[in-house]
Amino acid sequence: MHIPDGFLSTRIAVSLDAISGATILYASRRVRFATSDRLIPVMGVLAAFVFASQMLNFPIIGGTSGHLVGGALLGILLGPMAGFLTMATVLIAQALFLQDGGLLALGANIFNIGAVTAFVGHGTYSLLGGGKGNPKRVTFAGFVAAFLSLIASAACCALQLALSGTIPLQIGLPAMVGYHAVIGMIEGGLTAGILSFLLHVRPDLLNSDIKPKLNILDWAGALILVAIPAAILATAGSSGLPDPLQGLLISNAPPPPSAADAQQLLSSGRFTDYAFRLGIFFLFVCIVYIAARLAPGRRHSP
Amino acid sequence: MRHSFIDRFANLDSPLHALDARTKLLGFAALIVAILLIPQGRDFIFFSYFFFIAIFAGISQIPLGFIVRRALTILPFIILATLAAPWRGIAGLSTLFLRAILCLIVVIVLTNTTRFVELLRGLRGLGCPQVLASNLGFLYRYLFVLTEEFMQMRQARDCRRVGRAPFRKELAIMGSMLGTLLVRSFEHAERMYKAMLSRGYAGEFPVANPHRFSWPDLVFLLAITLFVWTTFFGFPLPRI
Repeated sequence: MHIPDGFLSTRIAVSLDAISGATILYASRRVRFATSDRLIPVMGVLAAFVFASQMLNFPIIGGTSGHLVGGALLGILLGPMAGFLTMATVLIAQALFLQDGGLLALGANIFNIGAVTAFVGHGTYSLLGGGKGNPKRVTFAGFVAAFLSLIASAACCALQLALSGTIPLQIGLPAMVGYHAVIGMIEGGLTAGILSFLLHVRPDLLNSDIKPKLNILDWAGALILVAIPAAILATAGSSGLPDPLQGLLISNAPPPPSAADAQQLLSSGRFTDYAFRLGIFFLFVCIVYIAARLAPGRRHSP
Repeated sequence: MRHSFIDRFANLDSPLHALDARTKLLGFAALIVAILLIPQGRDFIFFSYFFFIAIFAGISQIPLGFIVRRALTILPFIILATLAAPWRGIAGLSTLFLRAILCLIVVIVLTNTTRFVELLRGLRGLGCPQVLASNLGFLYRYLFVLTEEFMQMRQARDCRRVGRAPFRKELAIMGSMLGTLLVRSFEHAERMYKAMLSRGYAGEFPVANPHRFSWPDLVFLLAITLFVWTTFFGFPLPRI
């Protein structure tokens, strides 16, 4: 689900970077000024919690394993703003240190896995009345919120990949949504389990006063953030730029290369020529690497 | 328990490790953007980038096996993309593969030559919001504490049971384990907040030694600029 670099077209990746960056700046100002400093260590430790629980896969049924994504949980516990910031932290750390997802695609990943899950999770949870404190309600609302948050996130991811022309929507959307429906059941079950556990053990944490509330300005800001890329996409058709939507709706992909083409390529000698030049090139890369390796510095001792 | 998987080789000592974190962040980000802007099908420009990055990888003294192993984690995604869009042909797929793997190697070199604290300081110097920076700092500091607590919990669970429970029961057990961890996280946070207050926290975490930008940083940035310029527009010398 983490998109690597190179899978998104530069236009899509950069515009999502801008959106996520703006949201992070806005959310950190909001969190900074609207609440007490008490939230800061809570966000930090919960980021560590989500990072740790995402690394620890546990067996579910048969040979499959799963882990908590946690966006909806954070949205419910901390409110969407702080929850989003915490998820963004986790995603940045994952991109930098586990190489999960690319650096330029980070904006897209923060949007899909951070913003969409936290906001959809929080929205669904409060719409279903999870905040009322009724244990059955809390479990149910938590399950649905986490499930829907993953579905929405997967749909966004498939849409971005399709707009970039990497994976067509007809294949990507059913595959992504179908796969994440299964993952979403696990996510929902875990979120519901955690929420009902918290309700029994520390009910004060579920309804704490430290989470910043959303006001009308936040909704206006969110609307603008979603409207800008939509407008860019809509107007791209009338400008000289190639329109990604057109490619999405009308499938004008060239026919797949046939076996005869491949044979022709092999027999024409272009392929062996290419492979030969490739080999020479990698030989040079190795020589350069070894030469650079001899530069001063302490060696790694295992 | 081995915990040093994050910035594993950041404590080595090489010219690349000695650079300012801001320089490295800027330079490597520029390289990634350049890699993503290379048009499809120009495979030999990609290979020249391999060349360039191999120099950095060599200088950094990170074991080659580590880089290769980390870089190959991209393969499942490539296979997925091949299956989903087979008409892209060899040219499209090789571009996708080269782009993804080059960017990955750049990130690996960046994070394994910079210690986490340095990286955070660099990010902060480049205008990253304080809340995000402190979040990342707390994440790094508490990740290992929480991982260890979770592993102890898992060990305790495995000692107390045989086989596996049905799916719903398993989810409930896992939910309570994660819930316990969450409560402990909140308790950590409360203690941290008290500690922060008693040490005079006022919105910023002060750091001891400030950044320094010296001539190796300049050389590094100039080398990257010159290389990227050359691959896009040719070598910047007047034709005679």
